[in-house]
Amino acid sequence: MIDTLSYGLIIVGIIFWFWGTLPLIGNRSVLFKLHSLSVSDTLGSMAIVVGLLLKIPNEWSLLVLAIMTLAIWNTVLGYVLAYCSSSNEKIINKK
Amino acid sequence: MDSILIAMILALLIPIYEAWQDDDIWQKMLAFASIATKTSIMMLVISVLRDDWSIGVVAVITLSVGEAGLMLLAHLIKRLNEA
Repeated sequence: MIDTLSYGLIIVGIIFWFWGTLPLIGNRSVLFKLHSLSVSDTLGSMAIVVGLLLKIPNEWSLLVLAIMTLAIWNTVLGYVLAYCSSSNEKIINKK
Repeated sequence: MDSILIAMILALLIPIYEAWQDDDIWQKMLAFASIATKTSIMMLVISVLRDDWSIGVVAVITLSVGEAGLMLLAHLIKRLNEA
């Protein structure tokens, strides 16, 4: 039961990855891609890590650290990329 | 678990192709951010597969330091564009 649940979570995570990464190839704006990418990367990776947590619970401390690192760092990276790339457009409009 | 790893490698190829074919620096930064997250999660999966926890520690360090480095790089590029 636990094994099917952990494999299910890992597969859901991989589906999130593909869903977030596929629009990257199109030529949409940076912010559009960033939104779908940061949502899918963070949630997909957290689903995969929770799936791993169910598989081997004895090393739970490291995997919980990975989940927290993902939740904090990935969202802040998405914010920093959005801030830096959008301030770039303001400069171009000024010229 | 091996087929899961192969699916992850395929998911990793898409941002690598995107980073190669796009010229805009911010699109490349997006692709690199995605590559960084995906490779560290793959390292975690491999460390669970092999039950070898030194790889797991390296994966978590790669995850946080890699993203911190990308943030600094984003600020650097912003300053360069302003100059």
